[in-house]
Amino acid sequence: MLMSLSLAGMSVPLFAGHAEDNWPEPIKAYRTGQLLFDRLEITRTENDENLIVWDMLAWYGGDRNRIYFKSEGENRSDDGEPTELESVELLASRLIAPFWEIQGGAGTRGSVASGAERENYLVFSLFGMAPYRFEMDNSITVNEDGDIAASIEAEYDIRLSQVSYLQPRLEVEAALTDAEEYDRPSGFNNVRVGLRYRYELSREFAPYIGVYWSRALSDKAEQIRAQGGDESEIGVVVGVRMWF
Amino acid sequence: MRTSLPQGRRQFIKSALGTASALTLAKIAPAWAYPTGRSYGDVIHADQAVDLVIRRENQTIAGLSGRPITINGSMPGPLIRLKEGQRARLNVTNGLNEDTSIHWHGIILPENMDGVPGVSFPGIKPGETFHYEYEVQQNGTYWYHSHSGLQEQLGHLGPLVIDSADGDIGADREHVIILSDWTFEDPYEVFRNLTVAEGYYNYQQRTLGDTLADIRRQGIAKTWEERAMWNRMRMSARDILDVTGSTYTYLINGRDNATNWTALYKPGEQVRLRVINGSAMSFFDFRIPGLEMTVVSADGQPVKPVTVDEFRIGVAETYDVIVTPQGNRPYTLFAESMDRSGYVRGTLATQLGQAAPVPELRPVPERGMAAMGMSHAMGDMQSSGSESSMEDHAAMSHRPGPMTSGRQRPSAPDLGIQHAPGGHGPAAAMIARNPVSRLNEPGVGLEDVGHRVLVYGDLVGAHPWPDEREPARNIELHLTGNMEKYMWSFDGEKYSEVDGPVAFRHGERLRLIMVNDTMMDHPIHLHGMWMELENGHYPRPRKHTISLKPSEVVSLQISADALGSWAFHCHLLYHMKAGMFRVVNVS
Repeated sequence: MLMSLSLAGMSVPLFAGHAEDNWPEPIKAYRTGQLLFDRLEITRTENDENLIVWDMLAWYGGDRNRIYFKSEGENRSDDGEPTELESVELLASRLIAPFWEIQGGAGTRGSVASGAERENYLVFSLFGMAPYRFEMDNSITVNEDGDIAASIEAEYDIRLSQVSYLQPRLEVEAALTDAEEYDRPSGFNNVRVGLRYRYELSREFAPYIGVYWSRALSDKAEQIRAQGGDESEIGVVVGVRMWF
Repeated sequence: MRTSLPQGRRQFIKSALGTASALTLAKIAPAWAYPTGRSYGDVIHADQAVDLVIRRENQTIAGLSGRPITINGSMPGPLIRLKEGQRARLNVTNGLNEDTSIHWHGIILPENMDGVPGVSFPGIKPGETFHYEYEVQQNGTYWYHSHSGLQEQLGHLGPLVIDSADGDIGADREHVIILSDWTFEDPYEVFRNLTVAEGYYNYQQRTLGDTLADIRRQGIAKTWEERAMWNRMRMSARDILDVTGSTYTYLINGRDNATNWTALYKPGEQVRLRVINGSAMSFFDFRIPGLEMTVVSADGQPVKPVTVDEFRIGVAETYDVIVTPQGNRPYTLFAESMDRSGYVRGTLATQLGQAAPVPELRPVPERGMAAMGMSHAMGDMQSSGSESSMEDHAAMSHRPGPMTSGRQRPSAPDLGIQHAPGGHGPAAAMIARNPVSRLNEPGVGLEDVGHRVLVYGDLVGAHPWPDEREPARNIELHLTGNMEKYMWSFDGEKYSEVDGPVAFRHGERLRLIMVNDTMMDHPIHLHGMWMELENGHYPRPRKHTISLKPSEVVSLQISADALGSWAFHCHLLYHMKAGMFRVVNVS
């Protein structure tokens, strides 16, 4: 519904500034797109596990209406397990304030293994930049069983030089309803903080190194403890932020 | 002023060009940019029809291989010299593989000769020739450029000088200086970079080091207050120009710094410099260390002489200055980009091969509270080197201090601007809460330079203009923008979103009020009609392009005497492309 609304909004000019119909428009609406890997990294956990992690988005459109494709996931090497999709989403986006887009669409998460049961959901996001220049992507998802989950992602760039940055990062996940099937007890589930040092070889290509700390919270933490797992994890990352 | 002295000049040309080096230099220069200045054989005489051929071809630019658009083989294109009272006939042939056009910037002419595809004509198709023809009713320094796509960025531009009917140039010699900005990147790539990656070309942002230095200097509380204000707004005080010297090579008459384009003079001569800012995105600050300049014309229209040491020239503006260099020495013609990310220099000399010291780039300027239109509450929060507070300027306008031109600067009329409570929607990241007249401010980075800088408040028309009626109504337009998304518009609506032209009634006298609700300077250009700037002086100065500072309000009187549809837009090329464009219809 939101999608069709947005597409209709990618408008035909309402007014031609000239007398003759066969003249070109002096200024046309401009549309472009971008493919951005905000994080494409190799993570090494304190347990000497190696993971490949990605967090990407692609968009196309004008300044007010855009289509987004977002994806996050990881692949733990050497464990023989298939790649884990944290999210794959297709969204329509509408600029509702100078720094905020509201986005709506559908997504899926789970293992990419064939025959695996994946969780399909609807997603609504508030995407943009908060005062003090925090880049944010805040989402609420509702799956087919009606389970509601929410997440907040915030990044901040501290400019060390014209081409290097220190980037703190925060990710919080919560469930508004119990989703036993997907191991998401109601309440806060997880918090993850990171700190990356990024150096732009060009604006488009910036390698980085960093660290992160992740911890399960409340009922989720208890669940993990009961299963004999670690409720917290520390790791280092090496990666690149790049766009095309 | 003396009348022109062709006899003496011709002799001088002969001796100056009597050397091999001079001939070499002359060959690599556009013919009109002869070091001797106004020469008679090499410029295009427009008594006959002028043929112009537009091509895309390989040329060496600043020692590297570029592929500019050339006009009759040169970039910038040839000097077109017309005479007041003649009928101009200009045949433009398109040798490109896309549509093109030429707009005669600042020229009063019929609607269908204005050269804006989609507004005045359909454009010129590949292989076609368009015949421009119009009566030349004015004189002065102007220019011409493509109004198609982003061709201007590729060098599709050139100078246009119209001699007065009596041929008097008001000096002994004259030189045309056209400043431009060249990039080896594809202009569409530049536009996309601006759109998808805010600050792509800005390598002068505040860093953590600057913050620490500020804390040492002024304490944490004050530093936090300053930073917090900008960061809450999600804007940068160092966002001065969108496209910078990080990609641009600045050119003077098509030549880079190493080539050192040279203009010759004889000691004691009065030399008229016709300075044109033909760049796509760059405001320049122009000065000649050691020489004062007397501004005699703005946008081709005569003004009462005012003597300054430096002037800021917005994109598409022109200024004529008279200088009287002395003592057989070279002087540097220095044009520094407004954000201090680069410069271009030439030399005013008595012989080719001379050069004078080239000044260093001044520190990167920062926008101050005045840019946010909140100077009254925050006037005490200035950091040094930023735009000074409005209180200072209000005071300054009443007492010309030693560093002004000496001219009384009256206040512009108080217009009592009110914003709609809803603002301008997502297309406007800012609303100027308290827009004020800033005509007596030199602009960001020029507040404390210690010498005389031209301000709009110094400009007085040389004589009254024909229409002296009081404006019967006001039209108000707000300049709006969102740097993060690279949205630029009027009243929050880009061109493709508006549902009709701005309507002028034929024959009416109206007042155009513009408010800059953005954090950038914008040169706003109206085609087909003059804008008389209400700066408190009489006669008012007449402009074709008026630059607005952030949070500034200006008012202009216009005689709607030109029937038809006319383009009205920001002359920053990529702002126009993004939609900061309207059609004005006079009917």
